[in-house]
Amino acid sequence: MMLNRLAWKNIWRHKRRTLITGFSISFGVFLATTFTGIGDYTYTNMIDVSATMGLGHVTVEPAGYNLAPSLDKRLQNASQIQQQIMTLPQVTQTNARIMGQAMFASASKSIGGSFMAIDPATETPAANLFIKSIVEGELFASADTRGIAIGTVMAEKLNLRLGKKIVYTTTDVDGEIVGEVARISAIFHTGLDEVDGAMALLPINLMRKTLSYQSDDTSIITVLISDQRDAEMVRNEVAKIVRSEDVEILSWKKTQGDMNGFVTLKRGSQFLMELLIGLVIAAGILNTILMGVIERSREFAVMVAVGMAPLALFLLVMVEAFWLAIIGLILGIIITAPWFYYLFYTGLDYSAMMEGMQDVSAGGVLFDPLIRIRLFKESIIAILSGLFLLTLFSALYPAWRAMRTDTVDNLKTI
Amino acid sequence: MRLSRQLLGTIFCLLTVFIPSHINAAIEPPSAESVERAREILRSIDDLWRGDSSYAIFSMHVKTEHYQRSMQMEAWSKGKDKSLVKILKPLKEKGTASLKSGKHLYSYLPRTDRTIRLTSGMMMGSWMGSHFTNDDLVDESRMEEDYTPAVTFEGVRDGNDIIEFALIPKEDAAVVWGKIILTVFAKSLLPIEEIFYDEDGIETRRMSFSDYKVMSGRELPAVMRVTPTDKPDEYTEIIYETLELNVDLKDSLFSINSLKRRR
Amino acid sequence: MLVRFAFRNLWRHRHRTFVTIAAMGLAGSVMVFYAALMEGMLFDSKRNAISMNSGEIQIHAENYRRDPDLYKRIDNGYEIVTKLQQEGLNAAPRLYGFGLAAAGTSSSGIKMSAIDVDYESRVTEIHKHVMRGEWISKEAPNEVVIGRKLARTLGVDLGDEVVIVSQAADGSMADALFNIRGILKSVSEEVDRAGFYMNTDTFRKLMVVPEGSHEIVIMPQDHQFNTLDERLAQVKSHAPGLEVLNWQKLLPAIAEILEMADASIIVMILITYIAVAMVILNAMLMGVFERIREFGVMKALGFSPWQIFGMIMLESQIQVILAALITMGVGIPLSLYYAEHGIDLTQFTGGFSFGGIALDPVWRSLLTPESVIIPVVMLFIIATIAVIYPAIKAAVIQPIEAIHHR
Repeated sequence: MMLNRLAWKNIWRHKRRTLITGFSISFGVFLATTFTGIGDYTYTNMIDVSATMGLGHVTVEPAGYNLAPSLDKRLQNASQIQQQIMTLPQVTQTNARIMGQAMFASASKSIGGSFMAIDPATETPAANLFIKSIVEGELFASADTRGIAIGTVMAEKLNLRLGKKIVYTTTDVDGEIVGEVARISAIFHTGLDEVDGAMALLPINLMRKTLSYQSDDTSIITVLISDQRDAEMVRNEVAKIVRSEDVEILSWKKTQGDMNGFVTLKRGSQFLMELLIGLVIAAGILNTILMGVIERSREFAVMVAVGMAPLALFLLVMVEAFWLAIIGLILGIIITAPWFYYLFYTGLDYSAMMEGMQDVSAGGVLFDPLIRIRLFKESIIAILSGLFLLTLFSALYPAWRAMRTDTVDNLKTI
Repeated sequence: MRLSRQLLGTIFCLLTVFIPSHINAAIEPPSAESVERAREILRSIDDLWRGDSSYAIFSMHVKTEHYQRSMQMEAWSKGKDKSLVKILKPLKEKGTASLKSGKHLYSYLPRTDRTIRLTSGMMMGSWMGSHFTNDDLVDESRMEEDYTPAVTFEGVRDGNDIIEFALIPKEDAAVVWGKIILTVFAKSLLPIEEIFYDEDGIETRRMSFSDYKVMSGRELPAVMRVTPTDKPDEYTEIIYETLELNVDLKDSLFSINSLKRRR
Repeated sequence: MLVRFAFRNLWRHRHRTFVTIAAMGLAGSVMVFYAALMEGMLFDSKRNAISMNSGEIQIHAENYRRDPDLYKRIDNGYEIVTKLQQEGLNAAPRLYGFGLAAAGTSSSGIKMSAIDVDYESRVTEIHKHVMRGEWISKEAPNEVVIGRKLARTLGVDLGDEVVIVSQAADGSMADALFNIRGILKSVSEEVDRAGFYMNTDTFRKLMVVPEGSHEIVIMPQDHQFNTLDERLAQVKSHAPGLEVLNWQKLLPAIAEILEMADASIIVMILITYIAVAMVILNAMLMGVFERIREFGVMKALGFSPWQIFGMIMLESQIQVILAALITMGVGIPLSLYYAEHGIDLTQFTGGFSFGGIALDPVWRSLLTPESVIIPVVMLFIIATIAVIYPAIKAAVIQPIEAIHHR
């Protein structure tokens, strides 16, 4: 305890040095928070946006559907499964969707594409990117109407406008070719030509009739959850609910494997970069503490001369580092908080930095030029404990030097 | 509608979609009276074409911006939804066959000796390089069910006594057209012309009939020509060389096995 | 005399001198390495986006991209390719066609891509993305490489037969039987689902397209020092009446994502510069402040304020020069090493592609002049700024005050 008091006194004896070290640490907090926070936000955002493009965070689907989707594979009793899934606390929404390929024709042209048949009563813009991207008209009001929502590019290719009819042809459950007509009730623009040119939303009940499905059949059930990090856990929970060999439950990591790879890779490189910055900060801390030790070598020599054990000197420097770390972290939280709140609530507008990005809106809903921040609890803990350990680690060498103070030599010098 | 089925039913009920009349711009709801009258006439046209099966040899000439080709084909049809077409000429493509059975469409490719069932994705493709799509072949339109007919003109036009019908697709009919206008001779009820419009009332294609002659005991147009309106230089023309109606055909003819069979 | 004093001072405090130089040198080295890594990332992200499939510049007939049909061709494709090659641009002609592939009872729509292997391999890297089997070869005209989802939909594997049907340019039925030579890794949704690669000659025979190309893909040869705009103008001069577009126009969504990523990388570099600046500032500041007492004594011995100021500046410059040598001595070899070998991120994830961008799990640095010059110059500027205040303070301080200074 005496050591502790001595250490505390020491670090305040050299206020400037303490502040400089504390500031280095707090700058570390600031940097790590910014990087990690932007990362946490961006990846969560990417995963969430991707989840609204059709497959959700977790997907319940017929066995084998993920590898070779086709309309003859279907789930039965969808609404019952949905109700059970909704009882899970993490789940915000589930939707039954029929996905397939179809040909879309107008009087002037016909093109191939895909459809997603949905129930407008349960779908929301937040859960469905296409609904969110509607730029003209409104989504069909019920699952039984002859409405259709298509992308801007498809509308242009087919030479059609809002209110005009489209005939779509697909293959039903028995492999028969079936056709239906629908009127364009909405046009969406996601900004991705391959999506805007090939995707259509259709009402699910009518599609069931068209495909000769039972009234509660569907291709997939998508599950959206409030926090994407729970995806694997929710997947397992859903698997407990739906116990069937004919049904597969997959998280976005499987259904959107490329996205998973991308996020993992980006996280990996971000980790490396933070490690490098940590190294620079460690160098700064080491420098300051080592300076302090060299500066006080006379003092240490005196202490050893009056009977202090060298190990106690080692511990003294370490305890000093401990308090420096604490002060640094507190300082860090104080200076980072306003910046964090600014990023959290206002965000950083990247569009100004992007030359040549003449029209941000051209990107549609997919590209948010506003970078916001979000920190997971585990990230906060990782940052704080990481910097804490970094400080103690940086103090190891100075502490070791303090321990090896050469008494005689140091007392001789002026 | 028997009209299309009998005349062109051999080519997969090609015409069924197409029943005609002129209505311009704003489509006014036809009066109940004219609808009833139209139905009556169309029904009698139906009767005129009554017949359950057919056998035909016809040639098809296609001219597009990029190529011109002529083919000779042999075709069988039975009932509403069975038909088989085989290419006789040119030699390079001889034996290539299309089978429509119900709503399935199959192609037999002699070069690779494979039979392929066409999926919905392939439906937009051109049928044998013509101005018909595969979809035209399977899309069997049910005139009565899909369209509301109305007589829009009766009398003499261009020296012929004609009847003109407007066919408006019903709201839930899987039909891309906004309307079809069909003109027939008042006396014989033989078709003269069929014009297809989109929903904005803009003409998109035109089908005309000519060379009326007696085939299989009936007077019928032997030539049918389709022209896409936006490419007036292009056309597909079908000329009947032989047509036999009410021939005895076995169901087994319309099976995948018979696709391969060389006659 | 000042110089001798400076050296002697540094030597007398050799521990501190060493620590200061080491800290600055380390910070500088990390900065060089970091900048090189970031440059590498910027370079790679663009390269990855275009090297898989799209190339840097493409030529098409007018309107081909809006409405791709068999007849909108570039007539003198090979002529253009040859001219571009002579001018230092690699180019490859391609042909495309749509059709139906069937195997057993399954069938699926396909997009046929006709590739001239000799040219293509110099331009794009799709040949490196074969998951199983091999890339197409001129020796095997009847073998094709297909997308992975297509392979699953058709239920085919290497060596299996697949029949394709399409409409040839003369309106006749085009059908042929192929064997599967290879199955691609994930490339992009379109390629995965419908990609069907074959030799150009095979395609020409099948589709009756004796000449012309639908697309010419262009990549600069290595060591090109002109800009993309200059290359675009160069290509345009050889392709009158044709549509010539750079990759940003061809892949607008990806270009936007990359631009955003670039912006965030630049922000990160700036922030890291600040972090490094702090370390340098810290080291210099401490070095001078700790010695205020000593300077007071010197003043008492008759040194003028200017002499003290000059001596401190000299000392700091000597240290910075040594730190800069460390920076270059460590940072440059480190960057060069990782430019060659890269940091292998495969432990995080394997190689794959994302929305048509091939992502290379090996992260290579790229040593540019800026990634060395900026950190070194910054070292000097910051160190100089850092000592100005303490140096002035030391220069003007009253000896009596200095001796009591703590």
